[in-house]
Amino acid sequence: MRKLMDFKILALCLGALSTASVSAAGDAAAGHAKAFACMGCHGVPSYTNVYPTYHVPKLGGQHAQYLVTALTEYKNGQRSHTTMHAQAASLSEQDIEDIAAYFEAAKD
Amino acid sequence: MKTSALIVLGLALIGVSNLAHAAGDAAAGKQKSATCTACHGADGNSTDPQYPRLAGQHASYLERALLDYQSGARKNPIMAAFAAPLSGTDIADLTAYFSSQTGLVTPVLPRLVPR
Repeated sequence: MRKLMDFKILALCLGALSTASVSAAGDAAAGHAKAFACMGCHGVPSYTNVYPTYHVPKLGGQHAQYLVTALTEYKNGQRSHTTMHAQAASLSEQDIEDIAAYFEAAKD
Repeated sequence: MKTSALIVLGLALIGVSNLAHAAGDAAAGKQKSATCTACHGADGNSTDPQYPRLAGQHASYLERALLDYQSGARKNPIMAAFAAPLSGTDIADLTAYFSSQTGLVTPVLPRLVPR
């Protein structure tokens, strides 16, 4: 019984921690894993969008705050781009924070 | 074999021509960039993180962003006002200037490319 109580307290503490981390800055290491799909386009130096044709933007070193805004707008449909909407739609707020933190810290 | 080589060459040429925008004059762009640098930084590396860094960004992406602000396809009241009066030459010059700066990079996937 005592052990169960300890476990409950631990669970409560962990719950409080994870809730706090939602609003905290992103985790670049977690973002690295979550950014795998992004790299298919944004990790290829010469990659271009088609119709209209332009280079997909460089993201390495970009401000995380701006990237969070961009991804959130793609997710919500405020910024329109079919591929980016499809990619961003399934991301949670924490995913977006983590991915943004990864690209802000990313070097070539 | 010859045919496929020709197809590859043809596609490559289409790609080149599509990206060959009127080459901008970076020096002229610098002269025109005073309004931009107030938020995006004198060297294109903004200090306020709500504004994107432009330094080193692809000129063709920056051009697309400005054209989309002009057309309203991309909505931002501040950028719409700044982009509205720009001519094609202005956009080419400004994007040539910011893309020539040092800042943004394309990250390479470490899993695939050893450092």
